[in-house]
Amino acid sequence: MSTYVYGITRTPAPPLRDGLTGVGDPPRPVRVLQRDGLVAVVSDAPADLRPKRRELLAHQQVLAQVNAERVVLPMRFGSVSDDDSTVGEVLVERAEHFLERLDTLEGKVEYNIKASHDQEAVLHIVLAEQPELRAESEANRAAGGGSYEQKLALGEKVARAVKAREPVDAALLRRALEPLAAEVSEGPQSAGWLTNLSVLVEREAADELLAAVEELDTSAPQLELKVNGPLPPYSFVEKTDASADPAAGARTAPAAG
Amino acid sequence: MTVAPAQQQGGGTGNLYDVLELVLDRGLVIDAFVRVSLVGIEILKIDVRVVVASVDTYLKFAEACNRLDLESGRNKSPGLPDVVGQVTESGAQAKTKGALSGAAQTVSDAFQQARDESQESGTRRRTAPRKKEERE
Repeated sequence: MSTYVYGITRTPAPPLRDGLTGVGDPPRPVRVLQRDGLVAVVSDAPADLRPKRRELLAHQQVLAQVNAERVVLPMRFGSVSDDDSTVGEVLVERAEHFLERLDTLEGKVEYNIKASHDQEAVLHIVLAEQPELRAESEANRAAGGGSYEQKLALGEKVARAVKAREPVDAALLRRALEPLAAEVSEGPQSAGWLTNLSVLVEREAADELLAAVEELDTSAPQLELKVNGPLPPYSFVEKTDASADPAAGARTAPAAG
Repeated sequence: MTVAPAQQQGGGTGNLYDVLELVLDRGLVIDAFVRVSLVGIEILKIDVRVVVASVDTYLKFAEACNRLDLESGRNKSPGLPDVVGQVTESGAQAKTKGALSGAAQTVSDAFQQARDESQESGTRRRTAPRKKEERE
């Protein structure tokens, strides 16, 4: 029976909610494997495990529960070992590395912040900042909306100007949060967001972080901000300097294309 | 601002989409473990801007600009507390009924259309009305 691994933490084993289950249909009971001061949170791996929504959620929820109690190194989704004893061997062989990462991340959690543009607000900004666009818009309006070509020309420029705002506003968010974070990691790009930022913060500093996000939300009306956390430190399990596993940072999403 | 606490118990799937890319793209990888094949996973990576850059969208932007000026006056600054504040504090639903009704509707439509087209079935997104929620 192969073993699905959710994450690695240290002894003593974290208290798991009674009946906590993980991946699979039916969901497999979650258990722990202990070795050399380390604890792997695992379950049996279903033979036909696929990256379905329900499975991803199960992975995240098991980790969220452990993370609520203590620091945990979250595995990427879909990590399957041949059996329990192989997991134990990995814990023993890499104990030093895991303990170092756990020390570094001790007391910290990840927050993920995604920003998108409030379309009306960003249009106001773009028109206010670019007199020529405003003039063109007003000229069109004076002409009863303008011709098809005029509308197209204006619309294209406005769309381009809105897009040009994206890196500006992404930097605004980063500048606001960076001082509060132990580490910052750009998340994978995905549709609909102008930026996707993960920050590593002390658990106790979470309120500060949320306050900073809220302040920015107020002071920058063109930004719509969405905060997720506290999360296990998905984005910070590997060292972020050059010695880090290059696959961890450079990897792009499997379905990026 | 929307805050989604992560340690929801039970079937709280609402925020799954928002951390999906972290679960799939980040986290510890150990070479001694096999990784489940991710073939078939459909992450929403379609670049929304590709869709936005269409003639239809340009026309909607132009239309929105016209109406935006009409509604808010020519000399107003982007701060526009009366208008912008209202917009950011309410969800998309409310926006369409606000002071910017015409322009907001048009622009929302343009973006919503882009977003709709970028969505995939099976993985529900929560892009549309992002209402402000009080964090506890």
